Amino acid sequence: MSTTEASNITDHISRRYNQDLERVRNNVMTMGGLVEAQLSRAIAAIVSGDSELGLKVANDDYKVNRLEVQIDEDCSRILVTRSPAASDLRLIVAIIKTITDLERIGDEAEKIGYLASQLAAMDRPSNSYRELRSLGNHVSQMLKDAMDAFARLDVEAALAVVREDEQVDEEYEALTRQCITHMMEDPRSIRRFMNVTWSARSLERIGDHAKNICEYVIYMVQGRDVRHTETLEQNPPETD
Amino acid sequence: MPSSWRKILIAVLSVLLLGAAIGALYDSSLIGLLIAALLLVAWQLRQLFAFDRALRTNDFEAFRYGEGIWEQMFSRFRFEQQKSARHKDRYRELLREIRKSTNAMPDAAVIINDDNEILMCNRAAKQLVGLRPKKDKGQRVDNILRDGDLKKLLRSGNFKTSVDIESPLRQGDWLNCRVVPYGADQKLLLIRDVTERLRINKMRRDFVANASHELRSPLTVISGYLDGVVDEDLPEEWRNPFSQMQAQATRMNQVVSELLELSRLESAGRANLESSVNVAGLMAAAAKAYGGRKDVPNIRVKADETVDLLGNSTQIESVITNLLTNAIRHTPADGRITLKWSTGSGGGVIAVIDTGEGIADEHLPRLTERFFRVDRGRARADGGVGLGLAIVKHILNRHDAELRIASEVGKGSTFFCEFSKERVVQREKTAKAG
Repeated sequence: MSTTEASNITDHISRRYNQDLERVRNNVMTMGGLVEAQLSRAIAAIVSGDSELGLKVANDDYKVNRLEVQIDEDCSRILVTRSPAASDLRLIVAIIKTITDLERIGDEAEKIGYLASQLAAMDRPSNSYRELRSLGNHVSQMLKDAMDAFARLDVEAALAVVREDEQVDEEYEALTRQCITHMMEDPRSIRRFMNVTWSARSLERIGDHAKNICEYVIYMVQGRDVRHTETLEQNPPETD
Repeated sequence: MPSSWRKILIAVLSVLLLGAAIGALYDSSLIGLLIAALLLVAWQLRQLFAFDRALRTNDFEAFRYGEGIWEQMFSRFRFEQQKSARHKDRYRELLREIRKSTNAMPDAAVIINDDNEILMCNRAAKQLVGLRPKKDKGQRVDNILRDGDLKKLLRSGNFKTSVDIESPLRQGDWLNCRVVPYGADQKLLLIRDVTERLRINKMRRDFVANASHELRSPLTVISGYLDGVVDEDLPEEWRNPFSQMQAQATRMNQVVSELLELSRLESAGRANLESSVNVAGLMAAAAKAYGGRKDVPNIRVKADETVDLLGNSTQIESVITNLLTNAIRHTPADGRITLKWSTGSGGGVIAVIDTGEGIADEHLPRLTERFFRVDRGRARADGGVGLGLAIVKHILNRHDAELRIASEVGKGSTFFCEFSKERVVQREKTAKAG
């Protein structure tokens, strides 16, 4: 492999550029992992009535925020110094949007953790919030699939998550209705079921954010190679 | 000179000579020589082209020309080619077998490079963690398995430890991840399903905790009544049995509470790095609490006042008192016990040195087992329960520390608790941090 001086230099520059992009992408995945862990711990805190764990989740949200700021700065720096084009630009744009959603998911997890610490102090239903757990598991699976789709740039998987969101909405609807019934039957439990409703609301919002992330994934990939995304034609993505 | 070379030289020369001779018959031997030479060149060219065609079309059956050096070259070429093809087949077969066996492995094996990018993974990796053998090639493994602990392990470069992560596919399943570096910059990530093992461990822990807990209430009642009875004036013949019963009830209470402490320790996580422990102070307090009595050997404290240990204060205190009471129990009153807290390049060491009876080598490995006793007969006389060292070991585990025991029968033993460097801090720094 005999490379001339000139080609060596360009190779070097583009490698650094690639490394920069790669590092930002990896940081997004780290942030995703952190948010996933936060969410699953928040759900565990509700289900097991562990107020300490719930508070820990609420207190750990700063880590997510810190990562968001860091990634945001990295993205701005790449935009300024490299002026990325085409797929690189789409990647950066998608990342900037994705981290906003991840940060919101982190906030919702913080909220759930806080609610869990409150719920732990109240009466516990005999089924230990089975509906919340099932909704929570559903949503964390969605988030996991969304991050997987992001890592693999997998449009199919992203579309599946987008479709999944409807089910989460239905589950949320059912849970709210159930809570209302409980509150009407026993007004003393209103306070508790308000917390449950808020938790469910947060989970539902997380589902929406996961859906958004998947839409960014589709946006990111679609421009890169439309040939391998036949399903897109039947189901055009919303790339706003 | 090989015979084939000689042969072709003779053939060429004789053709040239023949040409010259025939030319001489017609009075122009030079033209005859030239024609012979041209014929030779044409023949060689023909061989050359045929060989080239055979190479290009790979149809060596068609190459049937001539003998001598051309045929030899050809057959040698054929031979080498067949040999390498055979080797290739063998390696391909071998590779297939290896791949088959790695795919048959129940544990996930992922080969990753320096940047943690996946080079290869087996089928179990798909079943256990959802990696796709073909699609995820080149993907960073920590982007798919986004677990904080695994990321830390991959980044740390210290591959002696393993981490347990929750399965990304099935909730409640636990996977043990280990990294084995090999070659220049490759690593093997091994993932094993340990759900069952953890479940059994948890069952055992829960059983011990529940059993101890259940034993506690009846014991409290028994010892409560015994205390009441003993206080009263008892007939002479009852006095001894009752005080025996009381002593045994106390002992049993101690066993139960130590078992409970052990099970609590087992379910507790790793001790945090946020609070610092004044080891020198704990040692001085322990020496004061246990020493100074006539039947207790002389206790000296040699502690470095300038450094603290990061960890759980009550647990470290329990380590010191457990080791100290052990030493007291096994050291005659005229002996000497030294508590030492020192730091070096490797980290910090809490050492408890006694001049007691010592422990025989064959007992050392089993010393930290629950209820293990070197001398069964003495078990009850000295008041020990048999859980002290097990508790010490568990606490040290929680502090990433190790227990090392050096002992010589008749001269005494030394228990070293070796803490890693990251757990040792200067006192000034911690004072400032609050």
